[in-house]
Amino acid sequence: MGEVNRRRFFKRVGAAGALGGAALLGKAEPLLAQTGHHANGMQRASHGGMGAVGEVDHEANGFDPLEILTDFDGGEVSKDLSGRTVREYEFVTVDKEIEVAPGIFFPAWTYNGRVPGPTIRATEGDRVRIKLVNASGHPHTIHFHGIHPAAMDGVPGAGEVDPGESFTYDFIAEPFGTHLYHCHSFPLAQHIHRGLYGAFIVDPKGGRPDANEMVMVMNAFDTNFDGENEIYAVNTIAFAYMNNPIEIQAGELQRAHIINITEFDPINSIHLHANFFDLYRTGTSLRPDEFTDIISMGQAERHMIEFTYAKRGHFMFHAHQTEFVDLGWMSAFQVV
Amino acid sequence: MATATARSQRLPTWLAATAPLALILLLGGLFLAFNPIGGLREVPPVEAIAFERTVLEEDSIALHLRNDGPDPVTVAQVLVNDTYWNFSLPDRTLGRLESGTLRVDYPWDEGLPLNITLVTSTGLTIEHDIEAAALTPAADASTLGVYALLGLYIGVVPVAIGLLWFPALRRVGKRWLDFFLAFTVGLLVFLLVDAVGEGLELSASAPAALNGLGLFAIGAFGAVAALLALESFLRSRREAAHGGSVTGLALAYLISTGIGLHNLGEGLAVGAALASGEIALGTFLVLGFALHNTTEGLAIVSPLGSARNRPSLWHFVAFGAIAGIPTVLGAWAGGFAFNPAWGTLAFGVAAGAVAQVCWQIGRSMDRGKGLVAGWGAAGFVVGLLFMYATGLLTA
Repeated sequence: MGEVNRRRFFKRVGAAGALGGAALLGKAEPLLAQTGHHANGMQRASHGGMGAVGEVDHEANGFDPLEILTDFDGGEVSKDLSGRTVREYEFVTVDKEIEVAPGIFFPAWTYNGRVPGPTIRATEGDRVRIKLVNASGHPHTIHFHGIHPAAMDGVPGAGEVDPGESFTYDFIAEPFGTHLYHCHSFPLAQHIHRGLYGAFIVDPKGGRPDANEMVMVMNAFDTNFDGENEIYAVNTIAFAYMNNPIEIQAGELQRAHIINITEFDPINSIHLHANFFDLYRTGTSLRPDEFTDIISMGQAERHMIEFTYAKRGHFMFHAHQTEFVDLGWMSAFQVV
Repeated sequence: MATATARSQRLPTWLAATAPLALILLLGGLFLAFNPIGGLREVPPVEAIAFERTVLEEDSIALHLRNDGPDPVTVAQVLVNDTYWNFSLPDRTLGRLESGTLRVDYPWDEGLPLNITLVTSTGLTIEHDIEAAALTPAADASTLGVYALLGLYIGVVPVAIGLLWFPALRRVGKRWLDFFLAFTVGLLVFLLVDAVGEGLELSASAPAALNGLGLFAIGAFGAVAALLALESFLRSRREAAHGGSVTGLALAYLISTGIGLHNLGEGLAVGAALASGEIALGTFLVLGFALHNTTEGLAIVSPLGSARNRPSLWHFVAFGAIAGIPTVLGAWAGGFAFNPAWGTLAFGVAAGAVAQVCWQIGRSMDRGKGLVAGWGAAGFVVGLLFMYATGLLTA
């Protein structure tokens, strides 16, 4: 029995096998000591004893939070008769158990097996066609934040899809900005909290200056289903960017689309260490609204932020609801 | 009928005795092999973990865990005061009734509450609260000495002082003797209620799979049976020599034993509470217990008031030792090796012993009539009130 468990444990620990082995042998000290060093020798901040033990098996999850950051999906592109760009997508809702923190498995409902779902990226005025195939056990929808006809709203009575059925949402992408989509079946909190949401980025026709773009979906998981979250994160995995900081270039413009879809808590926020950012509220303007180092958001609020780190170093970013930090919403940039 | 008897006589006794056992084992084996009700368990696993013992050292917390549910539990992460914290646990998956020691290096604060939450692989949370964090005393010579001294103060010394009422008891009349015997019964009934309450409370924190209530019952009824056997042995010796019932001296020994077993539980509770930081070793606590337990000495000597001859001094030393020293042993066990399951059993034994002794004394008082006569009834009620009042000092 012990052997089976150990094998399963090794499988989950995956690449961090050496660390896991130390833990199994009861040698806690080497494990704790090693958390101060990155696997590839990169300098890494010490967090005392704070954090989760072990690593998430991203391969088993089928998605990696570092890849989700920059994984923009333009869809299957074609032109219609009028010369308008048409972007076609197929989303499949799948019930799937995902590892949201090392060793903690959550019974998620997903679009295409990942949480958050695919990042849809279009330009203002493009025609977007998304076929939703429901391969899960409950009715679902995709409700887009944007401007569209009532029939395309993705709510019960207008595009709700029963298990085994499908529906195609078809609309023009507008206005430009940082948006989101989510399931709008009832009970609503349950359908959102289980993982049915994602980013919907609409670029202005004239484009924006070159930058390294990232999508950060602030989410949380109530793993014991008591109406309070046990895990907070950016892009699902607790402490993911604390354990593996996001590598960015000094002097390069960074553009992050920040989306808050946290359920059960009225507010979430993002704060950058040792820097300030230009804030574009909802991303719907070409000129910044504010210059700050923190922005608080209610659920479904989202903003675009731009910043540049002049010097190399390790810089934290996190919620400034510090209880969320302690429960997983702690991240860092490694500026190189 | 005759045939059946004849046939059963042909069957050897060992076979007759073991055949049903063999059948149930066979049935169990078949059940395990084919699992006919397997389809009924298509539900999420039931995860339960009991926290058996907590040891707080400087910047470190050690928790002894036991899986007391029906299914294996995997401890995935640990939260200390709502913060994910690094931890070690040799085997993170605990099978049914398996145990393991979880260690967390955490800079806890003296006197403040600590909440430890285990997050299992399924996302379930299992919480353990430490009411006020305090350094767990190490089991070294000096701490053992302090606990022994504490046991002496609240157990041995007060009981010994209470025994000094013996000369005065010899001089009072029958009414007062009845009064004091009834007083003793009142006092013991109070201790009985106390032991039942403590034991049942503790049984709730013992691992559910170990059935705390069952342990309590085994302790209580086991103690009654053991003391009944002891009494019948004493009586048969006495009858062989003189005829008649149990002497005052034998009764005094029985009371000492009952009180000693109760004090074992009391020492256990005090030791455990001190070690876990639930109570502080205040002057009032010690004085309260001392006063409370002085009356126990009086209880022991009350059946000797009507004895014709003064028992030798050694008997009194023995009474004090039997009734008092278990407090020291209990304080050690409670402070350094506390485990709710064993504690429940100990309180069960105490409750059973005290109940049996109450019954003994009652019978010795004109076969129970003395207890309900005017002076007896008054003594009984005063005994209850006295224990209640002195108990207030320890609250």
